[in-house]
Amino acid sequence: MLDRLGEAVSVVLGALAIAYLVYEIDRRRRRLRDLFHVLDGAEADISADLLNMVESGELKPFFREIPA
Amino acid sequence: MPKSLSDTRPPRRQLRKAGTSNARALATNQGPPSEASDPPIAADPVGSDAASTSQPAEAEAAATVAVREVPARRRRALPVRKYKPPAAPRFRICIIDTGWNAVARRALRHNFSLIRRLHKEELLYLLSRKKSAEFIRRHRSLIGRDPIIAVHDLEAMREHGTTGFHGFHLHLGIMRTPRQALIALQNFAQFVATHRHSENLEAEIRTALRREGIIGAVEILFHKAPRALGG
Repeated sequence: MLDRLGEAVSVVLGALAIAYLVYEIDRRRRRLRDLFHVLDGAEADISADLLNMVESGELKPFFREIPA
Repeated sequence: MPKSLSDTRPPRRQLRKAGTSNARALATNQGPPSEASDPPIAADPVGSDAASTSQPAEAEAAATVAVREVPARRRRALPVRKYKPPAAPRFRICIIDTGWNAVARRALRHNFSLIRRLHKEELLYLLSRKKSAEFIRRHRSLIGRDPIIAVHDLEAMREHGTTGFHGFHLHLGIMRTPRQALIALQNFAQFVATHRHSENLEAEIRTALRREGIIGAVEILFHKAPRALGG
């Protein structure tokens, strides 16, 4: 009886550890992807807006001489 | 030492005031109305020369008490600097910052000149706070993620516009500590500098992200302190 209980507890603990690991890796991966967000078709309007601002002359290239 | 009451000379400050009031009085009596409103310091040598022909000598003497000539400082003419666009930019970098996140903003501002120096070959656009706020108001999914460094791959945009892969955003605003923000900035600077001649930037970004993910997983397995970037 006790053996079986111990087995069950260890299985549950192992499952919890694996679940935590998966959760943590997934969380980090999402955070990393959120930090370095790759631009594709979904963000086309954002990039097009920036592009329009540049092309219309609303945005000028930043220029300041860098001191030596 | 206390002033003696027997001293009959008025103090210097009073003399100066008297001179000023004399000069004002003279100006109001003899000068044109526009000159009357001018403070004494504004009575420059040119003005006094013009007035000297009509004013009596004593009035001129009184006016000189009030007028202090300030030597004109010669300013060095600043050299005219012309903007030279980079010869062959690979990326267009736009910095969008409404000033929301103080930590990331500070990290960006402190290292901005270094980033500029490291990426001289790229086109850099800096949105003002007002423009950034307007921009983010138009694209509300970006709220809370600024400072954002938007990197557009000009080569990819030339090929297929903005429909496919065309760059990446660095959302510095999600970083909470100065160390995290600094590491993210360093990674960004390194990535842009090392991949500017890349033929398939998308694949390289995805590979780098995957590698970061695997390293993060290994770190979790070995109970190491979480990396600042992913953690």
